[in-house]
Amino acid sequence: MSWNAYFRRYWQLYALLALPMAYFIIFKYGPMYGIQIAFKDFNFFQGIMGSEWIGFEAFREVFGMRDFYITLRNTLMLNFLDLLISFPAPLILAIMLYEMKTLWFKKLSQTILYIPHFISWVIIGGIVYQVFGTQSGMINNVITSLGFEAIPFLTDKNDWLITYLLVGVWQSAGWGTIIYLAALTGINKELFEAAGIDGAGRLKRIWHITLPGLRSTIVVLLIINLGHMISIGFERPYVIGNLAVREYADVLSTFVYRIGLQSGQYTLATVVGLFQAVVGLVFVLGANYTSKKLTDEGIM
Amino acid sequence: MFGKKKSKLGSKKAMLVLGLSCSLLFTACSANKEPEASGGNDGASKERVTLKVEVFDRGNSPAGSTITDNYLTNFIQENFGDPNNIDLEYVPVPRSEEVEKLNVLMASGSNVPDIVFTYDPNTFNRYAKQGGLTDVGPLLDEYAPNLKAFLGEDVLGYGKFEGTQFAVPAKRSYVGKYASFIRQDWLDKLGMPVPQTTEELYETLKAFKEKDPGETGGQVIPLGMTIASAQYEPLIWSFIKPVSEEERHTLVQQLGSNDYPTLLPGFKDALQFMNKLYNEGLMSKDFGLDKDKKKLGEDVATGKVGFYSEDDINPFYEKGTLDTLQQNVPGAQLASVDVYTNEEGKHAKPMYAPNGMYIMIPKSSERAVEAIKYLEWMATSDNLFKLQNGIEGENYTMVEDIPVAVENPTEEALNRMYNGGDMIIVSNGKQLGSLEKNLKARAMQMPKKFQEQVEAAQKIANSDVIAPVLMDRPIEAQTKYGTTLLDKFNEMIVKTTMSKPDQFDSVYESMLKDYMASGGQAILDERTAVYKEMQAQ
Amino acid sequence: MREQTANRVFDTANFIVLLVSTLVCLAPFLHIAAISLSSAGPILSGKVSLLPVDFNVEAYTKVFSDASMIRSLGFTVLLTGLFTLLCMLMTIALGYPLSKKNLRGRKGFMIVVVITMFFSGGIIPEYILIRNLNLLDSIWALVLPGLINPFYLIILITFFNNIPESLEESAEIDGSSHFRTLLGIMLPLSLPVITTLSLFYAVGRWNGFTDTLMYINSPELYPLQLKLYQLIQNNMITDLLQMEGAQMATVVPESLKAASVIFATVPILIVYPWLQRYFVSGVMLGAVKG
Repeated sequence: MSWNAYFRRYWQLYALLALPMAYFIIFKYGPMYGIQIAFKDFNFFQGIMGSEWIGFEAFREVFGMRDFYITLRNTLMLNFLDLLISFPAPLILAIMLYEMKTLWFKKLSQTILYIPHFISWVIIGGIVYQVFGTQSGMINNVITSLGFEAIPFLTDKNDWLITYLLVGVWQSAGWGTIIYLAALTGINKELFEAAGIDGAGRLKRIWHITLPGLRSTIVVLLIINLGHMISIGFERPYVIGNLAVREYADVLSTFVYRIGLQSGQYTLATVVGLFQAVVGLVFVLGANYTSKKLTDEGIM
Repeated sequence: MFGKKKSKLGSKKAMLVLGLSCSLLFTACSANKEPEASGGNDGASKERVTLKVEVFDRGNSPAGSTITDNYLTNFIQENFGDPNNIDLEYVPVPRSEEVEKLNVLMASGSNVPDIVFTYDPNTFNRYAKQGGLTDVGPLLDEYAPNLKAFLGEDVLGYGKFEGTQFAVPAKRSYVGKYASFIRQDWLDKLGMPVPQTTEELYETLKAFKEKDPGETGGQVIPLGMTIASAQYEPLIWSFIKPVSEEERHTLVQQLGSNDYPTLLPGFKDALQFMNKLYNEGLMSKDFGLDKDKKKLGEDVATGKVGFYSEDDINPFYEKGTLDTLQQNVPGAQLASVDVYTNEEGKHAKPMYAPNGMYIMIPKSSERAVEAIKYLEWMATSDNLFKLQNGIEGENYTMVEDIPVAVENPTEEALNRMYNGGDMIIVSNGKQLGSLEKNLKARAMQMPKKFQEQVEAAQKIANSDVIAPVLMDRPIEAQTKYGTTLLDKFNEMIVKTTMSKPDQFDSVYESMLKDYMASGGQAILDERTAVYKEMQAQ
Repeated sequence: MREQTANRVFDTANFIVLLVSTLVCLAPFLHIAAISLSSAGPILSGKVSLLPVDFNVEAYTKVFSDASMIRSLGFTVLLTGLFTLLCMLMTIALGYPLSKKNLRGRKGFMIVVVITMFFSGGIIPEYILIRNLNLLDSIWALVLPGLINPFYLIILITFFNNIPESLEESAEIDGSSHFRTLLGIMLPLSLPVITTLSLFYAVGRWNGFTDTLMYINSPELYPLQLKLYQLIQNNMITDLLQMEGAQMATVVPESLKAASVIFATVPILIVYPWLQRYFVSGVMLGAVKG
């Protein structure tokens, strides 16, 4: 099709995307000149443009810090464990809700399951302490009253990992089901009826009909998750973490907060951010490419 | 479309907003500068100007007030602003993000308030070093005799950066920090005296654990501990050995606004002692988790804790820890005591520096003179008194020359002073002319029934105190690594204390090594160099 | 027979697991609610778990009589509504063209979008931009910078892609314009995902406050979550009060904090149950496919 004819037929699509693209240019690309802070000795009063160039000096400084590697390792470790545990949790939960035949209970539990997402991390931190504390945590109270030794859920680094993961699942699984439940509405009910006639069991039916129906959603979420393997939210490790398990709980975001924002060294913070961005982009493009090859699904 | 949302604003305020949005659109807009009706305009010929002042927002404004429009802002506008032909505009900065927001305001170059402040000495040093602050020295000489007299040379010295007065430090009304508290009723029950030394304390703690005088059913916590400085500092500093003048300057590490004894002789002994207490079950098991002291407060209030250190008057607030304790455990008594003892037999503990926050005027400000006048006005004793104490008869009555808060004040009177601490930036705490009076006034704010213990605690907090070390110039390595090292310092306390006794040495060694490599050594080197310079002079 | 037994086992197990999960998720909320209805002594002693101790509604009386809380609630509802509406318009306007596999330049547009998921200019240039656009201290500073979330955009595109092409093609053969295809066919069929994304945007805006810390100065424009954050942070820094020489009057009671949490959370919590009715199966899908 010639460009001329093409545009006559599709101009409406371009008209639609003009404003959103302008949004990206102005609000997202507009401030990106700020990235140059990574290569400058940032001075608050001379501003971003006025500060002096220092080349890769700040990169050398960051890559020379021992804490950088420790926090990088921890970030990857926590994210990987989350991918194993927290990523499938909402999927399983969504399927369980979908299979729930008692409608009132389904609605009720759907509504309650997503409540933890609305409780801020500061408050969750206090509750976690009350529940998992060694001396008078609710769980350990039960354990010790049964005559067993208290478990240091929060102060032993390996036990802490489990606590961290469980709290993560608790906080996000219910919220995560929403997207799957929306996707599940797209499944053709007739397929179930056909399967019912075939006499396929419930688990079989889930495996052969429900899961394939969710495939593209799962793939998209997985790719995005892989893209964020190297970045991690600040609050969860900060709030659940503590000094006794800092070996595992100190992650890139807390590292950046400490060296960058609290200490006013924006250059170092920007360096870490830029590093995370480049790696993240490579991961997501790589994951997308692989997924396209294997499943023909992807994000772009 | 991008207009400002206006709601119930007073006409004066609306005027201000209008003027502001106008000047945002057209930088040179002076059409709305109309003299106010109130106040005597002695400078009527001069053009009315706007002075922008930072104010901390804690989100606790009572109904009817906002952080930018309340009794004190109006009082200052009427008594300082109008007579001097100045419109005051308050720029709220969230208390918990003060440094972050200030950084952004500074970096954006405009909209910066004419008066900004921070508690963080590193932020002050950074701004001064990067050349963003006005030298207020000459301005103080010219416009602020009262302010200078009020602060004194000592306090002003904290606002100097390499010899130049780049900040006006606020003055503290008292410098004491910590006292310790013991369950007097437990001691009485066991027939034991108040422990006088650290060794005696250890025996007392053991007795608390074994005999459980509080009948807690095995839940007793002989020593209440957290990872907040009020609990561990009195213990640790009492183990620090006497040092020479040189060691005092070079071995101390200032992280944030406090001095830390990481490298001082005796620090390891302190950790060893904590390790012993922990492993013998004499100390809160989860102390490493308790950053905000909430758990400690709970444990004290439910009668589980036998002894602990805390900010001097903290347990005695109305409906506070002790109040709740006595509600839960009738007959419970908490006595203020001074126990931890160092080699010389003194109850050594840190104190505050005599300065509070750093008040700064950005270099870009065109209202430096007005800003200094604002501070001068505020520091003048009559004004200071009115700002800090409110209205006589409604907020306070004079008793023996000391303003005492009225019992059961009206809601209006109470709300009048809610932001007093944050508005009166030249002072931290009430200033009545002498330390004695200041402390007395502070004690009188507390519930009557605890008065005696409060006064005892204040006395303890102010005795045998260790002053922070002031270096001639700021230590850059401290600015750079302070936050990281503070985390590592606390981590060191937690990890060494919680380690098995036979692993203590190896844990301590490896943590110290990491501490030194992460900036501790750099601070040590720089302090040594600066100390040599100081000696050479 | 065997199959029926298996089915029953499955349903029972499913029910039990869901019930336990539900209770675990409900407990913390009950805890907060219990604190909001208890008095100070029991709270300070850590005696309140799931039921109020020394029941009273004083905290709620305080919250509801605070005009600034009520005004803030109104503002937050307005902000969230405006934000969600504009976000969905923008996201759909971009998502629909990008779901067309044969759109020329599609890959380029996608890259432009995906890059913004990882790279950003940082807080200072963003602040300067908002200031230069004269948006500081206005509702628009909280609306415009977050109009399109690339992640949600990609989800929308994925759902659009799952709608059978035969439907769109038949519409195009009918001579329908792209606008009409979008409005008449794509949107009605995508109701579940549109509802979901609206919920995501709305909840994100409702719970977000970090941008308000930077961009808003007027107390009239404080969203609820900012007020809540300040209330809670107040607690975190009580040890600073001593350093500052402030008075304890500035400390907010725990029950008031908890009541404010409930006050600020319940309005957004009830949005999802209300939206659930749009989660109906794509009835038409089956019809066409069959």
